Amino acid sequence: MKGALLALFIAAATVALIVDGTLRPIPSALAYAGGETLLRTPSTPEAAVENLGDQIRLQQWQKAWSSLANKAQFTEPEFVHDLTGYFLSLRTYAMLDNFEVFPLHESADGADVLMKLYWASVVGPFEESRQLHLVRQGDRWLVEWPLVKERHVPPQVIPVDYMRWDVINRGPGDDWGAQNVAAPHVRIVDMRPINRAEGVFVLGELLNDDVVPAWVSVRATLVAKNGAAIASEGSFDMILHRLLPKQVTPFLIRFPNVDLSQVDKIRMDPSAELVSASADPVIEIQNQKYNPAPDASLTGQLSSQSGEVIGFAHVLSTFYDRNGQLVWIAGQYMSRALLPQTPMDFRISVPQDLAGQVSSERTEVATFSEDSE
Amino acid sequence: MAAVVVHLPLLLMQLPLKSYDTNFHIFFASHYLHHWFDPWNAKWYAGFSQTTYPPLPQQWIAVLSRVLGLNMAYMAVQFAGILLLVVGVYRFSRLWLSPRAASFAALASVFLGAESFLVYSAGQLATTCSAPIYLNALPYLFEWLRRGGWRSFIKATVLFAAAAAAHHATLLFGSLLFAVPVAVLVLLDREDGEATSVPAFVARTVAIAITAGAAIAAVLLPFWIALLRYPVTQTPIPHPSRANYILSPQWGMNYFIIPYGALILVLPFILIRGSSVVRLRPLLLGFWVAFLIGLGGTTPAGHWLLGRAFEVLTMERFSYWASLLALPFVGLLASELVTRFRIRAAIPLTVAAALTCAAAVAWSTFHPADASDFKVDSVAAWLNRDGHDDFRYLTLGFGNKISRLAVMTDAGSVDGEWNSGRRLPELNRYGGAALTSSKYFGIDGLQSLRAMLMHANRYGLRWVFVRDPYYDPLLDFAGWRPVDHLNDRTITVWSKDSVPPAAPVNAPQRPPRWQGILWGTLPFGSGILAILVVLIPEKRRRAASVDTPSVPEESFVSGGLVA
Repeated sequence: MKGALLALFIAAATVALIVDGTLRPIPSALAYAGGETLLRTPSTPEAAVENLGDQIRLQQWQKAWSSLANKAQFTEPEFVHDLTGYFLSLRTYAMLDNFEVFPLHESADGADVLMKLYWASVVGPFEESRQLHLVRQGDRWLVEWPLVKERHVPPQVIPVDYMRWDVINRGPGDDWGAQNVAAPHVRIVDMRPINRAEGVFVLGELLNDDVVPAWVSVRATLVAKNGAAIASEGSFDMILHRLLPKQVTPFLIRFPNVDLSQVDKIRMDPSAELVSASADPVIEIQNQKYNPAPDASLTGQLSSQSGEVIGFAHVLSTFYDRNGQLVWIAGQYMSRALLPQTPMDFRISVPQDLAGQVSSERTEVATFSEDSE
Repeated sequence: MAAVVVHLPLLLMQLPLKSYDTNFHIFFASHYLHHWFDPWNAKWYAGFSQTTYPPLPQQWIAVLSRVLGLNMAYMAVQFAGILLLVVGVYRFSRLWLSPRAASFAALASVFLGAESFLVYSAGQLATTCSAPIYLNALPYLFEWLRRGGWRSFIKATVLFAAAAAAHHATLLFGSLLFAVPVAVLVLLDREDGEATSVPAFVARTVAIAITAGAAIAAVLLPFWIALLRYPVTQTPIPHPSRANYILSPQWGMNYFIIPYGALILVLPFILIRGSSVVRLRPLLLGFWVAFLIGLGGTTPAGHWLLGRAFEVLTMERFSYWASLLALPFVGLLASELVTRFRIRAAIPLTVAAALTCAAAVAWSTFHPADASDFKVDSVAAWLNRDGHDDFRYLTLGFGNKISRLAVMTDAGSVDGEWNSGRRLPELNRYGGAALTSSKYFGIDGLQSLRAMLMHANRYGLRWVFVRDPYYDPLLDFAGWRPVDHLNDRTITVWSKDSVPPAAPVNAPQRPPRWQGILWGTLPFGSGILAILVVLIPEKRRRAASVDTPSVPEESFVSGGLVA
């Protein structure tokens, strides 16, 4: 009798634990299930959007597309391309890390919801907002996906006429880093440290003073009053590394958790290597506009004047005060590919406390394509 | 003999080399081969201490590799573990069962899905070597607690120390899952007229706990020092063994169906027989706890019982231990079925065992640890020439090939596969595992990679070998340039010219020389001592008692199956 009771207890406890673990998964299990539990049915607009978000996060494209109310209006590949990009870009390999759902309006048979998608890409996270309309069918809510079709450029020939510099090494056995010529001459034309809550930021501008292209980086070392180095950091991706002759790049170097009062002097170490380069692709900045506080930002459009599709673009903007002094440097990666002669919006935020000082700005674009190696 | 027939050919084919962790153990062993008394390994994480991982199997690999080479030495040590398991399961099962049923249990251990899964897919050498030693120690523990006798006491203590030197977690959790049921069995058997008093039992338990604890503390002293001074406080890293196997059926296949195999069909028998026979209840409860934890996130039990350790440990080892605890029941069932149905039972049992083993072995091919098999020889050769190894390197998209590469090159890396050994803040601050697989850890993994690339100058990190173009934009925008291509242009070498040569990292974690001498002496010494003490013959009275079931055999066959 005792044995039967024990067996019953173990069996019942095991089943109960499994049911509990499945209906209310622990966080680590929930993460692997993509936030999806067995319980959630799309009986509310929020639940329907959350289900869709989970399916996008798990890249269950077919399931996500099938759940849409307006799936007849586009194909599954079009839906996937809308999320992951039609051309190779940051979106292609980005993974949805998280999303938020904000109800906007709801009636008996319709609802509007704002969905914020937080993507993890190789160069950092980026955010996207989609306003979704939902319709009610019986006791279920279905999402109408607002598909954004990418514009296609008509077939044409685009003549290119750009500068190009090639570097010829000593020979096929030439080593990776050996340079036969002196490094291109570069110099820092402006530099300014600023103190912020996050730490010290060193802003500056670097000029390629040579007649050949250069691959540049800048390091800064903060030196204390006793002569000891506090920290040494590099510009990382807040600089244009490939500089054409006479081109200027902004740079920004972060020193988190350091206060400027600790710093006696700053040692700057620019470095340059000779590289092959071309002036192509030519990116034009159109409709650039500074929007003052509140929510200060620089908006505009990028437009590629060349014929190639640019998969990856990084916009860097330098902000100056009325005396021409550096105020701030900020950047934004474009999540979609830049198509020839197809303007694409960009928006770069400016910290509120600095926004009032901004009088002018200058924008540069760094690009990367897989075939540019 | 069955273990030789089944596993020796697979090991001679070096099948475990495709597993997750095999190359990790070979990498550790290669360090012991060249630096036996210096556990500071500069090849990963800009330097880390190997005293953060018990060394016994890896040191045996290092010793045997002088004759067999590293790969075959690994196979030899793994094979020894498999053979020891058969003996250990027999001896452990004899505590609970008749010799005939224990023999069936030992035979079943050869075909155990969890064993094959850990050997051929997971590559958990330490777990699969430590558990058999532990199982072999338990009968001595039983003898000591029940009858006293210093030979059993010494043998149990030495074997416990050797098991700990092979894998600390096995000993820690084995104490609860295996030793407690054995201790309870001693108390239960006492009711059958044996002359063991409770005070004597308590005194013996305390004596062996203190002595074995002291032995283990001494044998792994540098390990405990490292653990106490630098506890593992890094952000937990996700592992699919903590998934819910119902909500994530792909992981249920990997961590439940494959390891248990036909054992799943035995679960009702384990429950019914384990609860109906009083002597088997401690074993049932030990199995049940291990089984529940082994289910990972399918139940909240593991989360409740292990606390933060749940986010650090991987759960497949609990399924392995549950399987080992289930083997006596399997032996009992097989014995009863064969007794009653003869060949009609033997054939399906053999087929079930063979299919379980075959599925677990084949799983390493169906679900390989690294889907894309490629050689890293060219990368190692590139690093080893022209002074390239003056700088540190990083790989992206290499999966668990980074251990193999680390064995082959003289250069140091800022990455590695031993997460508990790393101390660099760029790695520990985020919830990502190896940088080479950053993208699979979402924002955490990519932030960790960015942090490391930002501090390339600090660590002398000049080379990045990329086998996944996913990472190319980051490298380009961060100031790295492609300088070479390897393996038919499937691997690109990226360089950052301004990086200075790598300098030794002045880490406080570096063990002093005396710890290195201890580390090179005591764990391996405990292994040698274990071999020597088990050769000490038992007293004849005890030998006879081992051959005689503690309880009449008919007590075990009173279940409904035979009735």
